[in-house]
Amino acid sequence: MPEPSGALAGIKVLDLLDERAIYGAKLLADLGADVLRPEPPGGDPLRRRGPYKDDVPGPTNSLWHAFYASNRRFVTLDPAADDSRRRLNQLVAWADVVLDGGTLAAAGLDPDSLLERHPALVLVEVSSFGPSGPWRDYLAPDLVASALGGVCATTGDVDTPPLKGYGEAAFHFSGSYAAIAALAALRHVREQGEGQRVEVNVHECIASCLEHVLMWRWYNDALPMARTPSLPRRGSLHWSNAYVVVEALDGAIMITPTPDVGAQIAWLIEEDAAEELLAVGLDEEDSDVSLAERALESMRPWAAAKRAKELFFEAQGRHCPFGLVQSVDQIAENPQLEARGWWRDFMLGDSPARGPGPPFQIDRGPGPPSRVEEKPDTRPYTGPGADTEAVLAEIGWEA
Amino acid sequence: MADTPRPLDGMRILDFTHVLAGPFGTRILADMGADVVKVITEARASNAPDNQYYVNWNRNKRALSLDMSHDEGREVGLRLAAKADVVIDNFSPGVLDRWGIGYETVSPDNPSIIYVQMSGVGAEGPWADFVTFAPTLHALAGITALTGVPGRRDIGMGFSYNDSLSGLHAAVAVLAAVEERSRSGRGRRLDIAQLEIALNVVGPALLDYSVNGRVAQPSGNRLPYDDAAPHNCYPCIAEGEGTHNERWVAIACMTDEHWQSFRRVMGNPGWARDERYHSASGRTAHLQTLDEHVADWTRELTAERVMALCQAAGVPAGVVQSGVDLVDHDPQIAHDKFLFEFDDPHPAVGVTYGDRLPLSFSRTPADQYTRSRTYGEDNVAVLGEWLGLPEDEVRAGEDAGTFR
Repeated sequence: MPEPSGALAGIKVLDLLDERAIYGAKLLADLGADVLRPEPPGGDPLRRRGPYKDDVPGPTNSLWHAFYASNRRFVTLDPAADDSRRRLNQLVAWADVVLDGGTLAAAGLDPDSLLERHPALVLVEVSSFGPSGPWRDYLAPDLVASALGGVCATTGDVDTPPLKGYGEAAFHFSGSYAAIAALAALRHVREQGEGQRVEVNVHECIASCLEHVLMWRWYNDALPMARTPSLPRRGSLHWSNAYVVVEALDGAIMITPTPDVGAQIAWLIEEDAAEELLAVGLDEEDSDVSLAERALESMRPWAAAKRAKELFFEAQGRHCPFGLVQSVDQIAENPQLEARGWWRDFMLGDSPARGPGPPFQIDRGPGPPSRVEEKPDTRPYTGPGADTEAVLAEIGWEA
Repeated sequence: MADTPRPLDGMRILDFTHVLAGPFGTRILADMGADVVKVITEARASNAPDNQYYVNWNRNKRALSLDMSHDEGREVGLRLAAKADVVIDNFSPGVLDRWGIGYETVSPDNPSIIYVQMSGVGAEGPWADFVTFAPTLHALAGITALTGVPGRRDIGMGFSYNDSLSGLHAAVAVLAAVEERSRSGRGRRLDIAQLEIALNVVGPALLDYSVNGRVAQPSGNRLPYDDAAPHNCYPCIAEGEGTHNERWVAIACMTDEHWQSFRRVMGNPGWARDERYHSASGRTAHLQTLDEHVADWTRELTAERVMALCQAAGVPAGVVQSGVDLVDHDPQIAHDKFLFEFDDPHPAVGVTYGDRLPLSFSRTPADQYTRSRTYGEDNVAVLGEWLGLPEDEVRAGEDAGTFR
């Protein structure tokens, strides 16, 4: 095992989370915590999520699992075995932080009793809708959670159904909140020596991250842009009417006249593309917002006639926040990520692989930040229960 | 503030963030009890304090007007940084250095300081100067290309998804550094690139490309890689004309058991007994016909009815809720009192509203909410408590423009 490194080196975390918050355990693991993930004898059900290496399911072939269960140690725990409860109890006793998505209750372990026995324990409990209320027992995988949480109503276009975000987009909110819960409670342990339970309500986590959505309803009378109390889906056009994706000659690009509408209009004038805009006159409308909307209308055909990548670099050179719509192969070649040493090499079963890196660069400074210095090692991604023996020895189980 | 303990009591944060991503990160830390001093001046406000956007992301903080273009302002800024646990900004890289309160100036006197720079693509690298908003990052990170339907790459998320996600990650990073400091006594500089946060959303697709060479494509509401069907949003009885009045329900049969139950919920129609639909792979292979059949059933019902019928039978389903649904009709949110009105009216905005921190701490409840503050509203309190400045000096600084 490599020497522990990273900001959370030495913190022991028991990861009993499912897809609703497994991303939170990943964040802690990628920050260097020692995160143990128990799984039943057949392997974690999440090992059966695609994509698979070579498109073939197998113990270490799920790339979904390799990503979300990165930097973990895996230990087999048979929920049907006679001593499973005792073993789970021992794992809880080992941990500083337990992240639970319902496993403890299923095993008949009472959270308050656990806290009594382990007063410095941080116990984070993730549920879809909280411990009480009319929807307490509702099932909410990603699509349903995204629909109820408010993501879908505003995502999609008039000619598509409401859409969820790609992958586990909504659960990155709840996962991040679970990591926050763990670390905030851990801070209280450091200050006061007292552990506690923290409930994470996935539905509320999602609803708290919707930008304009709640505001449009709350302040509908006061917000100039909020012409209706809720905004139906309408493709890429942002609620501000100032950001939109257009198909250019050889790719798509997100264009916007913000934050400096004047500079953008000057650019259009420079390229003889402001005729319509100038025909109406720049000062006939009295707010910046409507000028931005009108500028964007002139920008659409202008951008559509250009090459996306060239337009992107030209815009960024002028400090305009355009965004090239990149596909994953373009991302793989991205020079910025390369320069920052973002990618991680790791062992995927028996083969070397390159995967996404952590979203933080944590450096002890001074001097220029250097990720290399503090980068947590990326553990090999291993098969079901691969670390069972080591863990048994560590916490005093007998195999 | 009431004296119920909160998990981050005693933590001092000097907050130079603006717009959404940064302010949301410090809002979360403030909700949990950190003393977040938000520096906002009339000259540099990207959103004025009476803007609802500002109001929403800056509750539980205190507002300090500190003009960093004045020598006196920079000197006070340096003294505040020396007292802070955390200094955070989401300017372009280098602004705090130019103000003379960069990490290298402050850390010799305050070696335990945690400095957080949240930029678009990171503090160094060939793109470090690029200007980004959430829609920029969605595009660069593949979220725009992949959130959509097959054949289109111009849809993407319908809101500034990555702003909130970046705020959450900033809170994670700060707390991780705080934890490390509790053991080492050592501060840290954190370089947070919002692009890298966004990229994690397409993490499995990036691995799929690097391992299998496959370029992921948008898949609508289908799971990108696994068989699960029905798994879509379906139209229900509309409330009127136009997209605005449509009603939809999401149904997600993740297992064959879900499908069997769903068939019974629909009254076991003949078409659903077709052997093509017996397995998840068969249902996925005939998705279009399946979706049409399901939509024929949902179209005759309200979205709420479909959800209730399905959930009662153990089938995951949920109304596609708008902001109006969340605020006015969601019975779970009402039960949990998740949304609330601030007791104290805002001097400029009047009544303001909030959504509670979605975390419940059993020993250190973080459920106190004070409204967002306006220019300089807490000058006297903050400068008194952090630096021991007497009120008359603060008032004199206000008159001189340093604290304005």
